[in-house]
Amino acid sequence: MQHALATLLLAAGVVVVLMSCVGVLVMPHLYDRLHYVGPASTLGAFLIGAALVVQDTLKQQGVKSIMVVLLLVIISPVITHATARAARIREFGRWVVLDEEKTS
Amino acid sequence: MNVWLLAAFALILGLIPCAVVIFREPPMDRLVGLELSSTIVSLLLLLLAQGFHRPSLFDLALTVALLSFAGSLVFARFLERWV
Repeated sequence: MQHALATLLLAAGVVVVLMSCVGVLVMPHLYDRLHYVGPASTLGAFLIGAALVVQDTLKQQGVKSIMVVLLLVIISPVITHATARAARIREFGRWVVLDEEKTS
Repeated sequence: MNVWLLAAFALILGLIPCAVVIFREPPMDRLVGLELSSTIVSLLLLLLAQGFHRPSLFDLALTVALLSFAGSLVFARFLERWV
């Protein structure tokens, strides 16, 4: 029972990660691609970490996988914001852009 | 061969689209591919450690997650000013 639940969570997590990989490949523009980094490192990481915790409850492995998942979930928004900020600064020259300067 | 190793091989397949993006797209898109692949690699190391029953290898996943965070921030700041 425990193992079946862990397998289910694991399969869901792997599917989420693979679909976000396909999304990054297929999307045409940078900001569209950036959306697909989010699900892999929050939802996918959460599901895979939950599978590991369900498999062997809070032994050493469980605690360490919780730490890795927490780290990924905290890091992901920071990385996404930093990348989008860098892309915007490359595009417009600076972070704050006035309305009349926008091209699109 | 258990279910953890199967999931790990599936995640390795997920690195292929990231590699295609990294090889073929302009610089900022490559950074996005690198971020996604570092996330995948850290999850992959978790699954491999569980699949091979080596609890000490869980530290490796933690190290990859931490170091790739610093690396991605440095790349983002670098691409923001130069290149």
